[in-house]
Amino acid sequence: MGNWLYALLQAIVNGLLTGALYALIGMGMALIFGVMRIVNFAHGAFLMMGMYTTYVLFQATGISPYYQFPVAGVLLFFVGYATYMGLLRRIRGQVDFMVILLTMGLALILVDGAQLVFGADYHQINIPLLSKNIRIGSQISINAPWLVSFALAMALAGALYWVVTRTMFGRAARAIAQNPYAAPLMGINVHQVQAIAFGIGSAAAGVAGALLLPVFYLFPEVGNQFKLKSFVMVVLGGMGSIQGAAIAGLVLGIVENLTSLYWGNEWALAVDFVLFILVLSLKPSGIFGSQRA
Amino acid sequence: MKRTFFLFSLVFSGVFCLAGCQGSKGPQSNTFKIGVITSLTGSNAAFGQAHKNGYTIALEEINARGGLLGKKVELDYYDDQSRPDQAVQGVSKLVDQDRVPIVLGAYSSESTRAIVPVVTQKQVPLIMPTAVADNVMESNSPWVFRICAGSSSFALATLDFLKNNGDPKKLAIVYENTNFGQANNKSMTEAAKAAGLELVDSEAYQASSPDYKSLLQRVKGKNPEVIYFASYLLDASTLMRQSEQLGLNPKYYTSAGTGFAAAEFPTQDKGAGKYAEYTFSVSQWLPSAKWKGSTEFDEKYFKLAGSHPAYHGMEAYAVMVVAAAAIDKAKSEQAQAIRDAIKDVNLPETPFGPVKFDARGQNQHPVLVTQVQGGQYKVVWPSDAAESKPIIPTPEWSKRP
Repeated sequence: MGNWLYALLQAIVNGLLTGALYALIGMGMALIFGVMRIVNFAHGAFLMMGMYTTYVLFQATGISPYYQFPVAGVLLFFVGYATYMGLLRRIRGQVDFMVILLTMGLALILVDGAQLVFGADYHQINIPLLSKNIRIGSQISINAPWLVSFALAMALAGALYWVVTRTMFGRAARAIAQNPYAAPLMGINVHQVQAIAFGIGSAAAGVAGALLLPVFYLFPEVGNQFKLKSFVMVVLGGMGSIQGAAIAGLVLGIVENLTSLYWGNEWALAVDFVLFILVLSLKPSGIFGSQRA
Repeated sequence: MKRTFFLFSLVFSGVFCLAGCQGSKGPQSNTFKIGVITSLTGSNAAFGQAHKNGYTIALEEINARGGLLGKKVELDYYDDQSRPDQAVQGVSKLVDQDRVPIVLGAYSSESTRAIVPVVTQKQVPLIMPTAVADNVMESNSPWVFRICAGSSSFALATLDFLKNNGDPKKLAIVYENTNFGQANNKSMTEAAKAAGLELVDSEAYQASSPDYKSLLQRVKGKNPEVIYFASYLLDASTLMRQSEQLGLNPKYYTSAGTGFAAAEFPTQDKGAGKYAEYTFSVSQWLPSAKWKGSTEFDEKYFKLAGSHPAYHGMEAYAVMVVAAAAIDKAKSEQAQAIRDAIKDVNLPETPFGPVKFDARGQNQHPVLVTQVQGGQYKVVWPSDAAESKPIIPTPEWSKRP
């Protein structure tokens, strides 16, 4: 086999590894957008909170993030739930711009709050797993924590999909997405379901943050780049389709890595947004989305 | 309603009065304000903190000697959040509102280049501690001065070291894609061409990305003997960790300082830890430097910050020393007079070495080459300043303990 083939395979593997984390972040965003048509500008800040929670817990107890990531998920669920019940519910029915302002403001408060408490300095953690690499053949290598993060992210993405498609809550959420006026007539407690959806979406960001921590570093503004990417995923995946966003996450990971391999890393972000604009203008329903009602 | 309005107007008039009073009080007040722009938050916060430590030490020394022009000196910080647009706002705030007659900063080349036209237009002298990109000096503005060596000196020092230590021929450059990285890429490309090296690859990347594996894969495919990095700290750590993951084994890992020369870089909890081992970097100063006062600065810094300084902290200290010398000599609080005094500054003995600006405002500062050995930066070139011998070629990742 030629070297180019190994390089290609390695890039695809790398793409899948990062893509799985993107997918989890994007699914959270898509769930919130799908059920409420809310563009959550605080999504990146929630991810940052997940990272800091995991970091603080790791510093205090020394327990690997791979065991304690659910804590970040649970905490962020309640943060999301409270955000909806305490803030967003009050401005439902008003112009969308209000929602953008509110979530943006919330993001600013959270990011600056983190800066106040933890400082602007960045932090990283070291777990023994970090120095382990798994080699497939002689050429392809996978860093162990990336693989664990990938596996957990995929499992959680699957669980999230199951919740939305198979449970009573999921059915109610999809009913609201389909028609927010008819849903309450069918006996659905709209606010309750939306609050839970917002909570689950936020929890997805929080857990993604927790899984990102071992392979990345954290600082208060860490969420921004992931927030931007999650917008791209929601659009590519078809405006609120969570399986679409998941696939879009994986695709984005692979496209970025292939761009990086063949054109250079500086183009990776540009390609993301070229895709974004192309899809918005040519196929607004998303690459993977069917036409929604 | 009426009462709210009343309260509002009260608060607003208070604010305006405060602002107004401060503006008019400026020259007569009994403190002397020096403006500082640096990156206290954002991705370059580690360097901004090093700056702040250096400035603080200099400030304490100056005030212990009785301040400047009989006044207590105060540093007026503006945090540019690691963003050039904020640095520009900083100049306006410091000069127009706080009426400082001199500005020190910024941290990054990107921010510094952005403020050069602004200080020139406002006619306030600027002394740059750490901006390495040579284009910050390109405008030939009579208001800007730079104490550190620039990107072309970095490239020449690195090539001189390589030529005398194995003379490799195939070079790849990996650089972050803002002003700092671009300038170093340009300088190294030109210098390498002149020195007869073959440039097999040149890769720009976006700093603060979690994943450089495909980029490094690309570099690996080109099979360079030397890699020259121009990186900040977070990216430098990630690049080295992922080089190990991919088994990228050039004979030399070299770099344009900055991330690869930061005090945090060889540490386990804030940098690349053991993956930093054997990397070469250019450096402008180390605690072990032979200049008088280096050791004292190191001790004071350690007492203040709990860690040893890299050259970024020293450069901040040094610009403060230069500013103080100029203000003392100018015996004036006017920007123009201070600027003229900076032009004539001639300090043969500072802990940062001799400082004297040429006609363009550039201080001629020597560049050292260091290698991380046993978690410490050791000077390995030029030979008359070397503390230990360079370890080459870099051991392959699979053969390291």
